[in-house]
Amino acid sequence: MATLPEEIKAAMQGVIPSHVVTCARDGTPNATAISQVYWVDPEHVALSHQFFNKTVRNVRENPRALAWLINPQTFDAWDLEIEFDHAETSGPIFDALDMQIEAIASLVGLKGVFKLKSADIYRVISVTKNVAERIPLPDIVEPGGER
Amino acid sequence: MGADHSDTQPLREQIAQNQHTIDRLNRELARRSNEVRIIQQISQEITSTLDLDEVLGIVLLAMERVLGFAHSMILLTDASAERLRLAASRGYEPSGVGAEVAFGDGVIGVVASRRKMMRVGNLGASVAYLRGVRARLEAAGQMTGGGESAVLPGLRDAQSQLALPLLVKDRLVGVLVVESARPTAFDELDEILLGIVGNQAATAIDNARTYRMVESLSRLKRFFSPQLAEAIVTGGADDPLKTHRREVTVVFLDLRGFTAFAGSADPEEVMGVLREYHAEMGKLILEHEGTLERFTGDGMMIFFNDPVQVDDPAERAVRMAVAMRDQVTTLIGRWRKRGHDLGLGVGIAQGYATIGAIGFEGRWDYGAIGNVTNLAARLCGEAQPGQILLSARVASEVEALVETEDMGALTLKGFARSIPAFNLLRLK
Repeated sequence: MATLPEEIKAAMQGVIPSHVVTCARDGTPNATAISQVYWVDPEHVALSHQFFNKTVRNVRENPRALAWLINPQTFDAWDLEIEFDHAETSGPIFDALDMQIEAIASLVGLKGVFKLKSADIYRVISVTKNVAERIPLPDIVEPGGER
Repeated sequence: MGADHSDTQPLREQIAQNQHTIDRLNRELARRSNEVRIIQQISQEITSTLDLDEVLGIVLLAMERVLGFAHSMILLTDASAERLRLAASRGYEPSGVGAEVAFGDGVIGVVASRRKMMRVGNLGASVAYLRGVRARLEAAGQMTGGGESAVLPGLRDAQSQLALPLLVKDRLVGVLVVESARPTAFDELDEILLGIVGNQAATAIDNARTYRMVESLSRLKRFFSPQLAEAIVTGGADDPLKTHRREVTVVFLDLRGFTAFAGSADPEEVMGVLREYHAEMGKLILEHEGTLERFTGDGMMIFFNDPVQVDDPAERAVRMAVAMRDQVTTLIGRWRKRGHDLGLGVGIAQGYATIGAIGFEGRWDYGAIGNVTNLAARLCGEAQPGQILLSARVASEVEALVETEDMGALTLKGFARSIPAFNLLRLK
């Protein structure tokens, strides 16, 4: 087990899509982009399960997975080895994800269509930060001083 | 974190990393503790006024000056408790005040329906992602048409939103929203700070709304039962003050001999008689669920079937009039002993009237306009002391209940043709 640093939260807000790699029982790999990896606690993350897809199927057969996250401010990348633990269909994590999906779904005409089936909870096995190469930039004005 | 010694290097790094995070948070906190002090000051300001607009203004000003949120909105629940209405905003042009949001629509609507805070830092990416999902569903024929996309007030290009339900105990008062065109503009500390101001704001808003309501209520209770006055204040689809047409039974009454009495008796005596009379009549009006439209000295106009609709307006009117006559007979006995000769005259008519708020800003009255009110007034004018005169329409409505005497056709002021009238003798 590994502990997630606070710093990784910046990469978990879904600004840049994350990627998840899983394997079917027969070893066939699958990589997919997902909108967000959610922080649960320092040892767990959650992925949303809205549709039955290869990721959902694979981790139920073969729980090990790799998540790749990017901090949208620094472009530092994070590799997370994770392992599917269990699916939650109620409780605070489920509610938080469900609420967010409901809010966005209503904005694109998918109210009631696009629903959270479960919050899939993964244990974090390891976490590695890959610092992005910093290319010195000319002085630029920091955009958006206001919030 | 096993016992293996080769693990200690990552562990140390981890600790250093955590320490770094703690230091950063402490620095943040030091900066924010000043803000917390200012927040305390704000909460004092908020609770020092009962003016709703002032409360909203103070909260939004604090959002910008203290917390640095340039775009903020307060939406309040309406009577239906299924929609929010934008009550105040800061940092928008136009302000958007008055815009509505249905519960369940967007971040704001979902925060209202779930009564939980929500922080989103990737609205653009999320919406783009779900649009893609929708397109795939449509392409695969798994979705036909689909629902409407909700349109909400606020920034068109908002990337970050932090929305907080304004709760007083478990009751939702509204939603406080801050937003930004920048992604991930808000963090956990912002949630905490917004939560503190939000709690105070919810209570202050609720108090101001209650105060506003009580003020209007005390005015409205002049005309309506307490339940009805509340219905009017909270508004809603069937606001009785909206002009409408309805068939009503109108009762006019006044005291015969009152003008002469008022001219000769001393004012205290006149007021005393009026007070007794109004108190007794008022009780009977409430009992029969009539609406007191107005009273002028000794005269009163009461109608039935609006705003509360009833099945038997004519029957109620007649029963009330008879009860009033009985009651006034007792009063008159007492007044006679004091040397005042007074008698009650009543006129009752039924027909369509236009009813609603009449007047001008600052002085609105609830009133009925139509032939029916004139007819009732004229019949009242014709009535001898102790007489209750009914129009033909009313007489036929209550035929089975009362004994009447045909008065023939009366020539009434304002009516081209003579009008048949019936004298109500007694209840059967």
